[in-house]
Amino acid sequence: MSIIFILQVILVPAISPLCIGIVKKIKAKLQNRTGASIFQPYKDLWKLFHKDEVISEDASWIFKFAPYLIFSVTIILGASIPLFSTIFSDNLLSDLLVVVYFIALLTFFLALAGIDVGSAFGGLGSSREMTLAALTEGGLIFSMLALAFSAKSTNLFTIAATISSLSFFSFAPIILAFGAFVITMLAETSRFPFDNPATHLELTMIHEAMILEYSGKRLALIEWAAANKFLIFLALGANLFFPWGISLSANLADVPLALILFLVKILILSIFVAVLESSIAKFRFFRLPDLLFTSFILSIIAICLII
Amino acid sequence: MKKTNIIKTYIPDGLETKIEGNIISYCVDVCNIVQICNKLYFTHNLQLKTITAVDERNDGGWFRILYVFGVLKENIFLVPYIILDNKEEFPSITKDIHEASGYERKIKTFFGLSPVGHPSIQKILLHENWPDTVFPLRKDFNWQTKPEEVHESYESQKVEGEGIYEIPVGPVHAGIIEPGHFRFSVAGEKIILLKPKLGYKHKGSEKLFEILSMEDKVRLSERISGDTSFTHSLAFCQAIESLSDIEIPERAKYLRVIFSELERLANHINDIGFIMLDAGYNFGGSNCARLREVVMQWNERLTGSRFLRGVNNIGGVTRDIGSKTASELLDALGKIHQDLNEVIEVSQSSSSLINRLSGTGKIDRQIAMDHGVIGVAGRALGLVRDARIDYNYAAYNKLKFNIALEKNGDVLARWKIRIKEIHSSMLILEQVIQGIPPDKKLKSDKKVILKKNSLGIGITEGWRGDIVYLVVTNSSGHVNRVDVRDPSFINWTILEHSIINEIIPDFPLINKSFNLSYSGNDL
Repeated sequence: MSIIFILQVILVPAISPLCIGIVKKIKAKLQNRTGASIFQPYKDLWKLFHKDEVISEDASWIFKFAPYLIFSVTIILGASIPLFSTIFSDNLLSDLLVVVYFIALLTFFLALAGIDVGSAFGGLGSSREMTLAALTEGGLIFSMLALAFSAKSTNLFTIAATISSLSFFSFAPIILAFGAFVITMLAETSRFPFDNPATHLELTMIHEAMILEYSGKRLALIEWAAANKFLIFLALGANLFFPWGISLSANLADVPLALILFLVKILILSIFVAVLESSIAKFRFFRLPDLLFTSFILSIIAICLII
Repeated sequence: MKKTNIIKTYIPDGLETKIEGNIISYCVDVCNIVQICNKLYFTHNLQLKTITAVDERNDGGWFRILYVFGVLKENIFLVPYIILDNKEEFPSITKDIHEASGYERKIKTFFGLSPVGHPSIQKILLHENWPDTVFPLRKDFNWQTKPEEVHESYESQKVEGEGIYEIPVGPVHAGIIEPGHFRFSVAGEKIILLKPKLGYKHKGSEKLFEILSMEDKVRLSERISGDTSFTHSLAFCQAIESLSDIEIPERAKYLRVIFSELERLANHINDIGFIMLDAGYNFGGSNCARLREVVMQWNERLTGSRFLRGVNNIGGVTRDIGSKTASELLDALGKIHQDLNEVIEVSQSSSSLINRLSGTGKIDRQIAMDHGVIGVAGRALGLVRDARIDYNYAAYNKLKFNIALEKNGDVLARWKIRIKEIHSSMLILEQVIQGIPPDKKLKSDKKVILKKNSLGIGITEGWRGDIVYLVVTNSSGHVNRVDVRDPSFINWTILEHSIINEIIPDFPLINKSFNLSYSGNDL
């Protein structure tokens, strides 16, 4: 049990950079490029942790404190969502609403840190992020509520366990909810068509604009936290909507297979994100709300079908 | 039309005209210049190519201001000029001809001659630290002196109102690009006003042209705007060749076309890719970067320089292309074309990309014409302007190709113009490589002796638009003044009009669809 728990805690921070590396590698391949090694994000983090940082004179405690908070919250989130096992269902933090608002807390502090130093771009990024976050939240909660109604519980581990035993025919609304979830996932993790994670064009950035003032160790923490957040969303998508193969017992022998299946599911979702980013252009900023409303409506339909 | 007919049609009776090569110049009374320019511009629909001043106080005792108008299809330039005898003022023509504004401000900044009646005589290009009383293009200014810094402040136009704030961007940017400062006034994401401030790359190039030796002048012209090295130096060489009556060998004319089109090809492929990249369409972006590199490597193989430097020379070119290499080049171009067509086909079928490009950064046709729009931006509005046909030079009169045209004047139109021009460049290259005359001579043997007290104009169609060089000689036959008009100098004034009411995240895309040169503008 304790070994499984330790595994649960370190899994997200340990493999999240790899996940980013894989997405980048696939994108490079799809664009006829060789691309960097899939382990490059680890090297980048290592490099950043060994660098000095420059902090603006106008920065308040929020700017200095935010990276630690953001990183810790992603670790807590990583430990409280179903990854490869459902045995931690007595964990209070793994309630659906707690998880959603932990994510909101991340966004909130990131946006505050963006405004904090008073640079033009930070403010621009934060204002855009808050606009999107307000619209994303509805879709995110309602897509997961559809599952909660199905499982008659808001505990994520219970949801995963229940959905995995669902019959094939009751699955249609879950697919709708998954569609809604994917849209919000792309918005929350600053991916296409919402934001371009590779851009450094100062005027188009959202996530990158908020963290523009960070450097060195704090930047490393933020980058790592962003990778964690990406993996957390992939894991939520994989394990809440398609929880097959997740280990239901506390038996250590079940873990390896469950772990492998988890990694395969994450890989499939990563490929999906990479293909999406290579095949479509970024949307105009004012078209993004339409997409988020679509997500919200899909969730509502899913909930209606389940009730 | 014969030159005598042109004089009869365009020039008022009783004025003494001087014909030198393709230039007809005539002196006009200061008080008549506004009327004469208006007549050429509005009644005869001639193109204003440049306005500049010359300091001839050491030579004859006055400043001259020259107005260059081009007669389309005839390859003839009309140059009315005025003489400012002991005066530092001249009547402004900007009130009627809006596109003259930039030229007159430049004369004010660099010569200290005031255009009377100009609506906004702000200094351009020179920094606020440059004193207002030092005029660098006057002959009494020594190019090696460093004037004392004055710390003036720069006032940008301001918009006030509830919820409106300013975003300053640059001159240092996040990417490796040239420096320029942009001041956005926005309400939320919507742009109310954009004021670009350029001049950060001012290098004193025009002054240097007066000092350097002839070989170095050619090298300098290659470095006015690095990505347009060949067409810039071609325009300069043509101006000097017309000043010294040098006829270049046939083969060199064809080679000049080949290199011009290779330069256009590399840059257009690059721009097509970057527009897609800025729209977030990575597939197109990285494939175009790959194809552009293939063209650049061919440039290096043919000339030893990726940017085709050191090729142009007064009287011809320095590099030949052997027949075996030429057929290999033809094969390679065919492959590049096919490859590019596939990339474009895939990209055009992406509805998200096309949706992003269409309707973005639309320019009003009238505003653009008032500013004298040229090049890609002009053709994207359906204006039939291409120096290769209008003022045919090198071997272009022997080739068949179409001017690319679009109507909408948005980012998509500018993107498509570049694609069409690539197709026509490929067609041109095919004709030139097959039709190149076999003689060996690459360069005229005639010594470069410039005519005294004369004018030479070189015009070429660079990939951004037409490039104009005006060279004026003094009484001893030395170069007294070189006026460089890069297409960016005109089109920068239009960019700010294409951005009004667009949103901030669209600016990089719109800016890229123009892709103007900072260096060529700042000189």
